Amino acid sequence: MRRLEPLGVAAGALLATAVFAAGSLWLGGYSPIDAAGALLRGSVGSPVAVMSSMVRSVPLILTGLAVALAFRAGVWNIGAEGQLYAGAVASVWVALSWSALPAVVLIPAVLVSGGLAGAAWAAVPAVMKVRLGVGEVITTILMNFVGILLAAYVVRGPLQEARGIFPQTDPIADAARLPLLIPDTRLHAGFLIALLIGAALWATLRWTRLGFQIRAVGAAPEAARISGMISRDRVVLATFLASGAIAGLAGGVEVSGVTYALYENLSPGWGYTAIAVALLARLHPAAVVGTGLLFGALEAGAAAMQREAGIPLAWVGAVEAMVILFVLAADQIRRRYDA
Amino acid sequence: MTPPLARLDGIVRRFGHISALDGASLELRAGEVHGVLGENGAGKTTLLSVLGGLLRPDGGSIELDGALVELSSPRVAWTHGIGLVHQHFALVPRLSVLENLALGRRDVGPGWKSPLVTIREQATLLSEQTGLSVPFDVAIEDLSVGDRQRVEILKALLREPRLLLLDEPTAVLAPTEVAQLFALLRRLAEDGRSVVLVAHKLDEILSVADRVTVLRGGRTVLTAVRSEVDSRTLTEAMVGGPRGPEGPPDSTPGFPAGSGDRPERSTVARSVARLAGVNARGAGGGVALHGVDLEVSGGEVVAIAGVEGNGQRELALVLSGRLEATAGVVEIPEDVGLIPQDRSTEGLALDFDLAENMALALHRDPAFRRGVLLRWDAIRVRAAEVRDEFEVQARDVATLAGTLSGGNQQRLVVGRELGRRVDLLVADNPTRGLDVTATAFVREELRRIARDGDCGVVLISADLDEVLDLGDRIFVLVRGRLSPVPPEQHSRDGVGALMLSAKSEEA
Repeated sequence: MRRLEPLGVAAGALLATAVFAAGSLWLGGYSPIDAAGALLRGSVGSPVAVMSSMVRSVPLILTGLAVALAFRAGVWNIGAEGQLYAGAVASVWVALSWSALPAVVLIPAVLVSGGLAGAAWAAVPAVMKVRLGVGEVITTILMNFVGILLAAYVVRGPLQEARGIFPQTDPIADAARLPLLIPDTRLHAGFLIALLIGAALWATLRWTRLGFQIRAVGAAPEAARISGMISRDRVVLATFLASGAIAGLAGGVEVSGVTYALYENLSPGWGYTAIAVALLARLHPAAVVGTGLLFGALEAGAAAMQREAGIPLAWVGAVEAMVILFVLAADQIRRRYDA
Repeated sequence: MTPPLARLDGIVRRFGHISALDGASLELRAGEVHGVLGENGAGKTTLLSVLGGLLRPDGGSIELDGALVELSSPRVAWTHGIGLVHQHFALVPRLSVLENLALGRRDVGPGWKSPLVTIREQATLLSEQTGLSVPFDVAIEDLSVGDRQRVEILKALLREPRLLLLDEPTAVLAPTEVAQLFALLRRLAEDGRSVVLVAHKLDEILSVADRVTVLRGGRTVLTAVRSEVDSRTLTEAMVGGPRGPEGPPDSTPGFPAGSGDRPERSTVARSVARLAGVNARGAGGGVALHGVDLEVSGGEVVAIAGVEGNGQRELALVLSGRLEATAGVVEIPEDVGLIPQDRSTEGLALDFDLAENMALALHRDPAFRRGVLLRWDAIRVRAAEVRDEFEVQARDVATLAGTLSGGNQQRLVVGRELGRRVDLLVADNPTRGLDVTATAFVREELRRIARDGDCGVVLISADLDEVLDLGDRIFVLVRGRLSPVPPEQHSRDGVGALMLSAKSEEA
């Protein structure tokens, strides 16, 4: 019974979102039926569409895992977007600087540097929280702006393409690119990485002592402290850095698996959508993989809806926001019903 | 004869399974200062909250001027002329005194005039009449505690109450401020109001009250005119002891020397914990510890009596290594069992199930670990044992702690901590909220692990029966200072007098 409850909340939130999303289309003068058709064709209508959904889900799963992990420890990391950009900058820099290295060395170096940069980006708000008690919601949001602007600066300055025309870097060497899982598609090894990290987080939270400490600090900080367990600060710090590392890895995976270069506006806001992904999954790592795929499909389908039914892409942003609202509302309703 | 100003009769108020009030009554007359006494948890604050409209009673009747009324909200209580001054101030720190006085008072003055203007006029007049002077334009956060309390009283008086209720107003005041306050209360009563004063300091009530009501266990056990009682009769009424110089007959087992069910301790007692000259800061606004000396040996129960808020929580945390001492020597074992005061936030994670809550304490124990992994199978087995042994009403170990009743949550914490192999166990009011059977069981278990497990047990309790029943040695903790109770004073009267005596509070 208890295990199924989160599913009920998620299903209720999705149903409410579907109703309101359809209603908003109808009010805007679009046919919800046509829109749904385009959405389905664009996301799961063909092998190509499915691949596209999976590729789009990779950064959403990774940032979703980053957010879910942090939230489980009561760390409100809203900074996955900035951490992702920091990771992307570092990964591209490593890929361009050591392009002569063989792939077996270069690919891990690119990914690890992305993760380290994300952790470093998270370290600023993490240390401020633990040492000074500064609320991380504000600081992580502010660090997002810095991260986005950092990327904008490097693609116009130190890492701008050799031609010096567009605000973007040169393409990275083949040896720095993630291999494809299926030849002649766009599905890259990053998808596997996302699944592995999801599984690792799930096992950590479920079986290990550290994972239990993370959950305890998040679920009942006072009880965790009083029960004589843990240095709460250490757990918070470790979780915060790990969360940043996963978000930074998402940036590294994106540049080495999809774009092969860094440019402005690399992310359409994955770090924020990640919050919806994580909340809809009830902060459960295994479920994040599922909700990440769902949102990836939604974004792939939205592209088709724009092409076929003329529905603006911004609508998807509204739908994602609705998911967050309905998850929070459904959760409160369930609590009231329980009590 | 005119009916009393207010009459509360047979008031019952439950919180979950616990009855805070269980048939309390109170009669208030115009022109009197009425003192309400009782031990912590006797229901004083609850009774005042019922009269102030903050809490709705589950049973009983309230009459004002002989007519039945229903005080469904503070606003209704105000319209009946009842003003409540809270124990914890309800003032906005950033706003000025005047703004706080005007808060929620759109009812004053003509509509076109700012209530601030009207309130200033009224408050100036009132402070001249009563001698209650406060600076109107200073922010609350810049005022002393005594000044804040005067603001609270002024705020209540502005509504022209006939009944003024004050919940432990002296707890935060210096002696001179107490004298000023009492003089004010006398004047207010002489103007025809009825002033109700809650306190657990006996001498204060005796110095100011015209009549006294004593609550015990949610019931009114005594109402008397001041001249008919003395501190002794009131103490006995509060702690429930029979009158007479000897202790109650059933407290005989409480004497440490050689009673039947308590074998003599071995002569070579093993010291398991030592505090020497320990100072500690108050945790979360609590009372600090001053120069606490305490040595605990394996196999003994050290019982510490005292009213909550005198440093009990801090002592428990320092003894269990959860709070750093700011001075002095603390020698304690690495792993200390702790039954904390607030089980729902400090003892348990309510969103965790039984097994996970067991893990809160067990996860450091090598027996429940394998490398970086926790042995959840073993933890679940242990959780099931505790559930069965302590009769926690839960279907299985996957039941969420938050779905248990308060009493069952306590059983879970108590069971978890009693079942661990530790050299030192600190129990902070371990039987509060438990029913009679469970209480007897927990007390027996505490005695047993001290005796059989050679564990040092520190019992901190506001329950004198418990302290006398279990303690091999007894201390009282008053305002952060710990003092031993000599064996000849091991009786309700002896310990109760020490807990309440003004002398030890000023020491």
